[in-house]
Amino acid sequence: MPKRRYYQNRSKQGKLKYFVLGALLVAGAYFGYKTYFCFNPDRLVANSVLKEKTFDTKVEEIISPKYKIKAYLFEDDTNPIIAVNFVFKNAGYAGNEEGKNGLAQMAATLLDDGTEKLNRVAYREELEKYAINISFAAGRDDMNGALLTTKAQSRRAFGLLKDVLLTPRFDEEDINQVRQEMLVGLKIQKEQPQNVLSLTANKELFGTHPYSKNPLGEAKDIARISRVDLIEYVKDHLTRSNLIVGVAGDISAAEAGKMLDDVFGALPENGKMAFIRKADVDFAGDDVNIAKDLPQSIAFFVVPGVTRQSEDFYPLYVANDILGGSGLTSRLSLAAREKEALTYGVYTYLSVAEKAPLVGGGFSATPENFAKVKEIVKQEWQKIANNGVSKQEFEAEINYLLASYNLRFASITNMAEILVAMQKENLGVDFLQKRNDYIRNIKLQDVNMAAKKYFAKNPRFITIGNNEK
Amino acid sequence: MKFSFAKICLPIGLVLICFASNVQAKLFGISEFELDNGLQVLVIPNHKAPIIKHMVWYKCGSVDEPKGKGGTAHLLEHLMFRGTKKVKDGVFNDVINQNGGESNAFTSLDYTAYHQFLDISRLELAMYLEADRMQNLKITPQAFEKEQNIVFQERKQVVDNNPLSYFGESVRKVLWQEHPYGLPVSGSPDEIKTISQDDVEAFYKKCYAPNNAILVLAGDIDVNTAQKLANKYYGSVKNRDIGKKADFPLLTREFEANLQMTLPAAQSKRLMQVFLAPSVNVDANKIYALSVLANYLGEGETSALYKDLVLKQKIALDVSVSFDYANRSYGTFVISAVPVEGITQTEFEKALKLSIQQDLKQLSAQKIDLVKQKMLAGLVYLKDNPSEAAYLVGMMASVGFDAKDIDGLDEKIEAVSAKEVLSAAKEILQATSVTGWLLPQEEGK
Repeated sequence: MPKRRYYQNRSKQGKLKYFVLGALLVAGAYFGYKTYFCFNPDRLVANSVLKEKTFDTKVEEIISPKYKIKAYLFEDDTNPIIAVNFVFKNAGYAGNEEGKNGLAQMAATLLDDGTEKLNRVAYREELEKYAINISFAAGRDDMNGALLTTKAQSRRAFGLLKDVLLTPRFDEEDINQVRQEMLVGLKIQKEQPQNVLSLTANKELFGTHPYSKNPLGEAKDIARISRVDLIEYVKDHLTRSNLIVGVAGDISAAEAGKMLDDVFGALPENGKMAFIRKADVDFAGDDVNIAKDLPQSIAFFVVPGVTRQSEDFYPLYVANDILGGSGLTSRLSLAAREKEALTYGVYTYLSVAEKAPLVGGGFSATPENFAKVKEIVKQEWQKIANNGVSKQEFEAEINYLLASYNLRFASITNMAEILVAMQKENLGVDFLQKRNDYIRNIKLQDVNMAAKKYFAKNPRFITIGNNEK
Repeated sequence: MKFSFAKICLPIGLVLICFASNVQAKLFGISEFELDNGLQVLVIPNHKAPIIKHMVWYKCGSVDEPKGKGGTAHLLEHLMFRGTKKVKDGVFNDVINQNGGESNAFTSLDYTAYHQFLDISRLELAMYLEADRMQNLKITPQAFEKEQNIVFQERKQVVDNNPLSYFGESVRKVLWQEHPYGLPVSGSPDEIKTISQDDVEAFYKKCYAPNNAILVLAGDIDVNTAQKLANKYYGSVKNRDIGKKADFPLLTREFEANLQMTLPAAQSKRLMQVFLAPSVNVDANKIYALSVLANYLGEGETSALYKDLVLKQKIALDVSVSFDYANRSYGTFVISAVPVEGITQTEFEKALKLSIQQDLKQLSAQKIDLVKQKMLAGLVYLKDNPSEAAYLVGMMASVGFDAKDIDGLDEKIEAVSAKEVLSAAKEILQATSVTGWLLPQEEGK
């Protein structure tokens, strides 16, 4: 009976309609409440007056006219200042010969202590008067250098840097002073339990490999390093063949090309660098505790990692950030700090060093909390290896990496550093344009594979404090 | 503040000062306005990249805590990340993180600051969250207990595990005696454990209000937009009566104190000599001359003390002088040194004193011009990083510097004469002081 059915139907439909309408109203009110009265970050960003902006992030590869020295250049004329960062590859402290531990470090300090023309004080006067900064630091693998100058004084600054590189002064008096500084530095280094832990960790992990060396050198060697050693070190290590340069700021390609020739052109073409073998890192050794009565115990923990060129790099980068990256939103931070309040901080990081890639981590905690934090680290380690990360965590991390991209352009000294890193890791001159695409291409399943692969085994712990082993 | 560059440059005849002043007509280029509720806003445009530093400074720090409640301001700073009536615990960090921001906070004796560094398209998010926690903080007993434990761990990590920090804290105690600057910002470990939730809430009510705060925006923004957005997010936050702020006692008792501290963890001898000094709030006229004096005596390797004690006499491995004048109460003038091994404390103090006397005797107008030139030459870099500019400007403004004075710091320094430096030196070296020695175990015996 169609009619009846019709009425019947209408009545059902009627109820349904009111129900749907009512539900819609409630949903609408709720939606409106959520949208207009509650905190809604996505809506806030979408409706912002200030929108995302593209801006010129072009990096240029330049080649100097005369000596054909290559460099990356990032031009930025917002402020009349120029930063030049450079690296002499394989000139770091790991390459110090036995009996000369401390040589690269001493050279780095003394390079910036005058030139043939200017003694230490005269040289410093010149730098300070014209606000020129020149600095060197001996890293584990490389010797790092940096120059910062105003555009107005740039010619003077480049001239000074050239003299520093080609005719460093190395006065006996200055050598002896730096020697004393380094010897006291070695003592002061031990005041911080964190340093004692790092030195022991290096020994435990790297054994007889040069990476186990103290970054400040060794007292008995420092006492004996001579002027001849320093001169030889410079001649062998500061060369054009192992040079990488990044230039950022208010300088044109032509000006930068000329600077490269002027400053670095007269360096020897080749030198004599120590070969550092790949490290056979002892990730599987027993945990070690340095017994010491301290207000807080400190832990370092470590597993094998990847190099920058590895196809696992991006996935592991994401997995690591979710596990223990900076900030308070990582799993470890949430578990050990935000939830259990056992520590002020716990973190993990990737070290992509070519010869010893690793994932490291650390925390400090008072003795009564220490074992609990250690247990949490192990649990989270297993959890991420076994179950991977959630889609939500993954998306949040990708959003973070994309949205934080522009912060790197905050200072030109930072930019010059990035330009050097781009060349060192062979990322290509268009890396800054492509970087966000690399991030967008990361797949959740690859992140989970990386987590499984690298976090499968518990990390090795090296600790200091009043702890049981 | 119009002035002629020629007037400044010609009499001194220094090319570089002309340069510095010409390019950096104003050090930071600050624009200032105030909202109806009393919130002071400082804008430092920097258009190099679409990024911005967003900071809120409260003109309240650990000195404003009630006696015996050390660590309240700092614990509150931690709890500000634990949720409000609108934003649940954990959401603040999550949202900032997902939006690519760097976020943190710090508490000092005089102020407490919260900051985010973000893409310009995320600024409004930070403004919403910061304005929200300025008025809607909700502390739960659970969050309170957790943060209390976390700040306890922080104190152990940052101060107690570091002999130099512990030594510095002890020197300050001797210098400041009953003055609130003598108490550590973190509170003592015992205090941290006894602060109550009520204490923290009372401190929040007393201090956190737009009329006791400064908003600093440094980055890719113009003043009009800054004004619109500041009004949109902070305009509706109600101002209120600010509770009683710290009473700073007048320090009239003069003394010279000595502290020798032997710590088992100390490995090498260090000297820290602290003089009670004027600050911008004690005597603003004197701070620029004292700045020049600190630079003349102990800034860098070309300073008078370094040349004499390190390079010539070779009795120190390092010596430096710093002057802290950005304080709500008194400032400090500090000489730090690492003497060579083998020299006794008495011998070193004597040599230091003598060296200062000679340096002051040799002080000439020419030498002071050179020191000023060095001080001014470096100021050009202050415009590079918006994040650093926001910090410096916010810090100075929160202790009472006028925005115009911050932007005109170079002119103030330039105006200092050798005579003023000498009279400032005479005064400061007779001021109340503590001579502190940190000694390794065997030397202290």
